[in-house]
Amino acid sequence: MAITRLDAAINLARSNSLWPLMFGTKCCAIEMLMATGAAHHDLARFGAEVARASVRQADLMVIAGAIVKKMAPRMRLLYEQMAEPRYVIATGSCAISGGPFMYNSYTVVRGADEVVPVDVYVPGCPPRPEAFFWGLLTLQRMIREGETIREPGVRRKPVMAALPEDVSLHEIRAEIRAALANENVIDVTQAANQKPWARKVREWIQRASLR
Amino acid sequence: MDPESLLALVETAHPTLRRRPLTDRPAVSVAPGELLAVMTTLRDHADLRFDLLITHTAIDYPGENRFELIYLLYSTVHGHWLIVAADVDRTRPVAPSVCGLWPIAEWQEREAYDLMGVLYDNHPDLRRVFLEDDWVGFPLRKDYQDEYMLELPK
Repeated sequence: MAITRLDAAINLARSNSLWPLMFGTKCCAIEMLMATGAAHHDLARFGAEVARASVRQADLMVIAGAIVKKMAPRMRLLYEQMAEPRYVIATGSCAISGGPFMYNSYTVVRGADEVVPVDVYVPGCPPRPEAFFWGLLTLQRMIREGETIREPGVRRKPVMAALPEDVSLHEIRAEIRAALANENVIDVTQAANQKPWARKVREWIQRASLR
Repeated sequence: MDPESLLALVETAHPTLRRRPLTDRPAVSVAPGELLAVMTTLRDHADLRFDLLITHTAIDYPGENRFELIYLLYSTVHGHWLIVAADVDRTRPVAPSVCGLWPIAEWQEREAYDLMGVLYDNHPDLRRVFLEDDWVGFPLRKDYQDEYMLELPK
């Protein structure tokens, strides 16, 4: 019981001080990390404005844009260098599924979850800053309700953070709480570890340690 | 110089090259064996002075078993343009490098090698430029396939 309460306190603290990594792979980065961070939309309202240029200091990776095959292992390396607990938001069509580059593309990876475990998907091309904020709030909610310090990395099933119409915040809250309680739990880390990009990073690390 | 007299001048210097019809800028076709000689004339002739290689690229025609190498030239002295095209065999795509004439060609030829697999004689450093060194194949060829790629369902 005491541990549960400690979890709640820690998760509340974590959810309200997400430090995003200064990292953008394509045009979504203009919207996600620059427009939201600037004064008009103001990411600071949600405690997530401290964009860090070093992975060692960041705990939220916002994947803003398509990931190409050359970038994938590098992005995976950045993710692995982040300190746990680390969270990932994939914004925009390209980061969710490859978007317009899904078919007949020799270079674009079909979705960020091929490379790293993704917690929240924010659809749009690019998403509005409001949609990104909704995704961020969803992540904060997931952190508060989800992970325990005993099982880091094992999280609830990822959620699509679409901004719905004509529903009250109360209804959304109830719906998400029910979804999080009922949906099965998957190990997102394990799923991403199976992919070739992770193998490439492991090879790099092995080579570097042999040197 | 107007396109007509420009083409006439180029043709008198090198009678073997052919004019290309239906282009919006003056354009000529040249055999790959003569490419270097033609390019040298184009750069050094006092009335031509094509001192700037704007771009170099390749087009894949798998049906006709050829790559078409395209050089877009501009003269900062006279302000005129010329497109030079050369066909190389698709099964053995070897062309002379024009790095000695325009140093920027070194990068543009690396790009054409990287994406199309065109090989350049006497290029000082013919490596991949955009893709990773362990990449297999040349992705802008029309028949390129890899196991990760998805075909668009009909």
